[in-house]
Amino acid sequence: MNGPNITWYLGVAGFLFGVGALGVLLRRNPLIVLLSLEIMLNGANLALITFSRHLDNGDGQIFALAVMAVAASEVVVGLGMVVALNRKRVPLDVDRLSSLRG
Amino acid sequence: MVYGSWICLLSPLAAAVVITLAGGRLTRRGAGYLATLSCFVSFGAAVAVFVSLLGRDAEQRSVLSTAWIWITGGTYRSGLAVLIDPLSVMMMLVVSGVGALIVLYSIGYMDGEREERRYFAYMALFVFSMLLLVQGGNLLILLAGWGMVGLSSYLLIGFWHERPSAIAAAKKAFVMNAIGDATFALALFLLIQKAGSVDFGILGGEYTSTVANLVALGLLGGAVAKSAQLPLQTWLPDAMEGPTPVSALIHAATMVTAGVYLIVRTHAIFEQAPKVADLAAGLGAATLLVAGLVALVQVDIKRVIAYSTMSQIGYMFVAVGLGAYANGMFHLMTHAFFKALLFMAAGIVIHALTDEQDIRKMGGLRRLLPRTFIAFAIGAVALVGLPPFAGFFSKDSILADAMDRGAFGYVLWVVGLAGTFLTGLYTFRLLFLVFWGEPSAFVREHFHAPKRDLVGWTMGVPVAVLAVLSVIGGWLQFAPLWHPVETWLQSVAEPVVTPTDWQEGISSALAVLLGLLGIYVAWALYAVKTFAVPRFAFAQRVLEHKFYFDELYDALFYRPTVWLAKALYRGVEDPLIAESSTSLGQDTRDLGGIVARLQTGLLRTYVLAIASGAAVLAIVFIAVK
Repeated sequence: MNGPNITWYLGVAGFLFGVGALGVLLRRNPLIVLLSLEIMLNGANLALITFSRHLDNGDGQIFALAVMAVAASEVVVGLGMVVALNRKRVPLDVDRLSSLRG
Repeated sequence: MVYGSWICLLSPLAAAVVITLAGGRLTRRGAGYLATLSCFVSFGAAVAVFVSLLGRDAEQRSVLSTAWIWITGGTYRSGLAVLIDPLSVMMMLVVSGVGALIVLYSIGYMDGEREERRYFAYMALFVFSMLLLVQGGNLLILLAGWGMVGLSSYLLIGFWHERPSAIAAAKKAFVMNAIGDATFALALFLLIQKAGSVDFGILGGEYTSTVANLVALGLLGGAVAKSAQLPLQTWLPDAMEGPTPVSALIHAATMVTAGVYLIVRTHAIFEQAPKVADLAAGLGAATLLVAGLVALVQVDIKRVIAYSTMSQIGYMFVAVGLGAYANGMFHLMTHAFFKALLFMAAGIVIHALTDEQDIRKMGGLRRLLPRTFIAFAIGAVALVGLPPFAGFFSKDSILADAMDRGAFGYVLWVVGLAGTFLTGLYTFRLLFLVFWGEPSAFVREHFHAPKRDLVGWTMGVPVAVLAVLSVIGGWLQFAPLWHPVETWLQSVAEPVVTPTDWQEGISSALAVLLGLLGIYVAWALYAVKTFAVPRFAFAQRVLEHKFYFDELYDALFYRPTVWLAKALYRGVEDPLIAESSTSLGQDTRDLGGIVARLQTGLLRTYVLAIASGAAVLAIVFIAVK
């Protein structure tokens, strides 16, 4: 296998996932939250592809493709919602969108 | 002949179904005519069956026709069968004949009622139920008819369903009858277990005395309830809440005579259980005395007649309990004539006085309703049993039978004779109070002559026919000289007692004398008023409360049941069932409130929860590995 050691790949994947998770946790703008989610998904994808190459098994790559499709549809729905919220002059702040409180 | 029997049975049922289904497409009077026609068709078929039976030898007069096998279980099977034999044909003739006249009378009596169609459908159903009862080819069909008679009487007694008293009376009749139905059914269960069949034939089999006693007791329970004998008699007077023709139907043609029929039909088992047969006769004697006494103080014209029915059925129970089946059945027949006549005449009086039934307000109707007076008088004389009217021939034979039965029989004989005195007294008290003297103020104010149109015709003809039958109906059998009824029923139920001529003679003479004495006392007290009516406050109170039977049953059964139900409600249902279900709901809500607090609505707490959950899982997996 060419390139750096697998650890580096997993390290980058973990870093991406952590950055994304922190973004989801800390940011309040839904747009950024969605963006962070994408970063998390991409981190996961990187890990999948890394293992796929490492183990010489195509399943991981197919799974990554499926994740991308899910990510694309999620972005469509998520961005649509953000645009709709903006149109309705609802403040774009996830902490204030708490009407589902029990 | 078999077809005639089925036509007789099903014709009233067909009328009931047609009236029910046709609804508004049938005029009100049309419903009445249809019901009447169906009953007359029944009567015609019954006559045809009777004639064809007459043409046969005495041994071949019993035919069982099974439509189909209804229930099969192992070796047990019972079919929808009708039995044609001298006994059932006699009952068919009485039920359909008198029933048809009463339904015809109803057309006039119920004219202008709001729900005539429902009324006539019920009447046809009632006649059908009674025919099913008397024609049933085995005990199960008999029980089915038995139950349906109870149902029809419930529907008809409660016909005026907007009156609370009518509904209460209907329920009372139904519950009292249900007690009898239950003991009847228990007797059948025992029979099925011991003999594996419910055919009439098995009743003559060999049973241990316990089994025979229990079966006879169960059947007697049913008979006592249906025929309103002590101690299940309390429903009958209340049943007067129904329309007057219904009272006539219940008292004359159907229902109360069913008990007498049942004992005659199942006499084989009663002969194996002589103690129970004695009990039947004893209950009959007690009833005839009690009912005769209570009738003395009643003030409702229909109730007096109702108590006289109880008393007369008491005579029939004495007869069949003693084993004088033919005499019991003969009295049943003549009683059907004069009791229907009395009720119908009373109905005309009630109609003429705008639905007033209190005899204290009546008086002097003799001149205003002369023909009704004659009809009522014929019925009254027949009831008291003076020659040559119908009751004389049938009642006196029963008394003679009692003499042929040893010491116990003499007790019954004395009670029966006392009963004839009471019969004369209460019957003519009623007659004199209603018809004698000058018209009272109430009568002058409220009397209006019956209309002479169709209504008068439909009411008048049945009364006239029954008046004639009340005179000549008894000539059919004159105990010492000719006895066709006894010969006719011989193949079904052989009499156990055979009184001698002198017993017949002395019974008749004494009964007539005592009846006349009763009439004379009534004459002196209520017509010419030679003596003031004696007042015994205590006796009066006891009689007006009908010997406190209602109060007794209230205290024995009704109040404890209600008390128990309320105690169970307070002690069990409220704290255990109601409380537990409400607290279950409350606790679930409380728990939900706690869980709901987890739902903050803040996206970031959810994310944190997911992330920390995932982290915990990861740590657990790594640690386990």
